[in-house]
Amino acid sequence: MRMEMDIIVARGGFQVACQASFGPGVHMISGQVGSGKTTLALAMASLIPYQGRLDKEGVGDVLMSFQFPEHHITASRLDDEVRSWGLDPEQVLPGIGLDDRRGSDPLHLSRGGLKRLNLACVLARDPDLLILDEPFSSLDCVAKSQLCRAIEDRKGKITLLFSHERSVLPRVDTLSHVEYGRLIHHGTVPGSIAAWQGAPPYIRQTLQSGARPENITHKDAREAICRMRD
Amino acid sequence: MQDARLRILTTIVLSAGAFISLYGALATLAWWLLLTPRWKALPHPRILLWVMVMIAITSLVSELSGGEGFSYMVRMIAILLIAAWAYSQRQDGELLDVSVWLMGKRIGFDIGLTAEMGMQSLGLIKQDIQQVRQAMAVKGMKFSVFSILPLAANIVMNQLRRTEEMAKMLTVRGYIRGGEIEPHFHTARIDYLLALSSLLVLTTAILSYY
Repeated sequence: MRMEMDIIVARGGFQVACQASFGPGVHMISGQVGSGKTTLALAMASLIPYQGRLDKEGVGDVLMSFQFPEHHITASRLDDEVRSWGLDPEQVLPGIGLDDRRGSDPLHLSRGGLKRLNLACVLARDPDLLILDEPFSSLDCVAKSQLCRAIEDRKGKITLLFSHERSVLPRVDTLSHVEYGRLIHHGTVPGSIAAWQGAPPYIRQTLQSGARPENITHKDAREAICRMRD
Repeated sequence: MQDARLRILTTIVLSAGAFISLYGALATLAWWLLLTPRWKALPHPRILLWVMVMIAITSLVSELSGGEGFSYMVRMIAILLIAAWAYSQRQDGELLDVSVWLMGKRIGFDIGLTAEMGMQSLGLIKQDIQQVRQAMAVKGMKFSVFSILPLAANIVMNQLRRTEEMAKMLTVRGYIRGGEIEPHFHTARIDYLLALSSLLVLTTAILSYY
């Protein structure tokens, strides 16, 4: 299973180029707000037009989670919204604490509640290629940690994580950064961490102290510092 | 057409001309053909087709029931084309400028602000529809009659939410009524020509009516 691309996406006077290849694993794609991450994510999901080549070898189903969860809503009841993803509400809603609100209008949920609903649905579908656009936005620390575990548990599938999250991140396999209208592929972890332009402050501080973390989570940073002191 | 005042005046004059009589509508169509970027000023072909089909159905019903269906169709098409041209020429903030220039910094500002917010909402609704289409594509859903109601409700709810946020923002910023703005307009020579020629269209429409 592999996704290979050499594309240019133009959207509203803005252009972003991407030449990359992603196999099974978690691929972190960072970038400043407005750098073109969402544009690129939409193109990779084939939801907007692009120029160039985008091959999805051995990839069956593709799902994308939008940055704003309200953009996913197509039903006026919570249980119908879960059914619109082809899922059973009995299996999805209890897991996110919304079982007692199955008749409610999804748009009456908080942004965080909507985000948890959307992420629960896309993760339950377990697609071959999952594109997550800013999945950590609107989530509290507990929900962010749960999401990290769910992302790490997707074995043998491709997960593209577009995010500028600075605090809670999952263990990833490769790092890329979007800047000046193009995707810069840094390579596999841990070798690429030192070159990662989108590294959050705790990773930068760890690197500055001379420690070399195995991955990009807080735990990896702590362990790297401890190893250095030992 | 750069001057928003003259453009709005021209749009009103041509719409009135097209509405008054069939000859007025034909003169308006000729004005559109000769003096606008024509096809570049049209909405998306699919939207245009839907509107045209609706106008054609109404006209057919009117013609079959003894009304002036053909005349109605020509007049409505002329008004639609002029509206599309005016919309394509629009710049952000110009309705506020025109309103303040016309009615002053108190009531003019309020009306202009409301108009600008309305135009902004139209743009956002267009984005909402695009996002609903993407959501349906992600879920593998097909558009059906049964999906219209929840989708439309979703778009309306989003709009109401945004309106409430905008109202709160204006309140927080201390808006009560009126505001300070100095309208600026740039008038090109062609603007006068277009406005004057639209008056000729209206004259043709009035003369042919009597």
